Amino acid sequence: MWADRFGLPPEVLSGLAFLRRGRMIWAFSGQPPDLPCETVGLRIMSLRESPWKPTTNALQLWGRQATRNAIHLEEEETRRYVAGETQELKAEVEDGYVVVLYQGEVLGCGLYARGRLISQLPKERRMDEGGQEECGCDMG
Amino acid sequence: MAAQVVGMQHLERYRDMIPDFDEFLQILATPLPLTVRVNLLKTTANRLKEHLDRAGIGYSELRWYPYGLRLEMDRPGRMLEHLMGHIYPQEEMSMVPVAVLSPRPGESVLDICAAPGSKTTQISMHMENRGLAVANEPSAARIVPLRANCERMGALNVAVTKFDGRHFPRYQFDRVLVDAPCSSQGMARKDLKVLDRYSVKRSLDLHRLQVEILHRAISLVRPGGVVVYSTCTYAPEENEAVVARVLDRARLEDVALSGLSGSPGLEEWEGTDYGGELKRCARYYPHQNNTGGFFVAKLIKT
Ligand SMILES: C[S@@+](CC[C@H](N)C(=O)[O-])C[C@H]1O[C@@H](n2cnc3c(N)ncnc32)[C@H](O)[C@@H]1O
Repeated sequence: MWADRFGLPPEVLSGLAFLRRGRMIWAFSGQPPDLPCETVGLRIMSLRESPWKPTTNALQLWGRQATRNAIHLEEEETRRYVAGETQELKAEVEDGYVVVLYQGEVLGCGLYARGRLISQLPKERRMDEGGQEECGCDMG
Repeated sequence: MAAQVVGMQHLERYRDMIPDFDEFLQILATPLPLTVRVNLLKTTANRLKEHLDRAGIGYSELRWYPYGLRLEMDRPGRMLEHLMGHIYPQEEMSMVPVAVLSPRPGESVLDICAAPGSKTTQISMHMENRGLAVANEPSAARIVPLRANCERMGALNVAVTKFDGRHFPRYQFDRVLVDAPCSSQGMARKDLKVLDRYSVKRSLDLHRLQVEILHRAISLVRPGGVVVYSTCTYAPEENEAVVARVLDRARLEDVALSGLSGSPGLEEWEGTDYGGELKRCARYYPHQNNTGGFFVAKLIKT
């Protein structure tokens, strides 16, 4: 899907191991260790949806190299996207999941259908929620 | 507030240990500068600076570390760069242990006390996402933010495990980081209440746990491999006294980062002799670099 839908160069994914766990695909850059692990690598795709849905984190890592199905937003459109909204938008893309960018940097995933861009940004990443701050070593 | 005065009194025992003690006390009442680490897995320092310039956010570089920036703003969590995983809010001193550990691409590295992942994600970045970084954390609740942070930063080489560090299963790593659970006195500028919770007994209890984790870490590294032991507290019981206990299995190397002022580790404290090698450790006090407080030791397994 990464090459077909987004036209990513194959080198981007070469050397990665892909693991399926439940309905998620994980990517790991090496040989998984011979240890009991909670998780290994990064979730890159969900098989729960049809078509399969790329994760925000994977698109943020690779999406700048997308050569198709990418939408570049303006400032006000970005504000709406990061707030999790749906907006009317004309774009030269096929319906389905798209890479969403602002000022050349990847914001995340969007669903484009019938002239509308539906933000797929997970709730905890939306801008009005703030973000995780570092919580150092608080053992109290 | 009365409670804070009580907390401050727990620091009196360090009056002769900390240089310019009154300056030290004074700076604790001032807020920490905001620092972030640039996530090279997703951006470059130049790209990030361009966006900061465009957004009119002031910044300055750290003198000793190329991947950290001080930002002139106070809510980094609300920046697009945070949402995109291009920055990781991290206290300046908290960037020191991984800089000392200096992991390289392709190696195998263990972060044995990993949550919430500031240092794991920094390790993964130094490794350029290649090789193996194991992030271990026994607390289920703390694994949640650990995983989220690793994924937000785009770490492809991190495996998360959930062991008590003292019983981490047999394996051989090139480098191990022990960023130990501690009494956190060095975090006082973030939250003065950490000082109220302090007691020497607490340090002594933590000492026992810290020694056991550090011993296990040394067993898990190959001969010649590096173990970095760090805490964000001043208590010698949790610092030099812990490191002194493993010197039959590892030797100390100097921790010296040019551009950063620090004090040498203590050779003795309240009549206990830790040995001359201990001065190779580094103590960083808030008033020396306008940061939090940290202790760092670099050990080579013999
Ligand atoms: C100082 S914090 C680590 C901070 C982390 N390295 C970072 O930079 O984000 C110490 C961690 O050690 C964990 N811990 C507590 N007991 C432990 C044990 N027996 N073995 C390993 N880790 C332990 C705590 O749950 C806590 O998350």
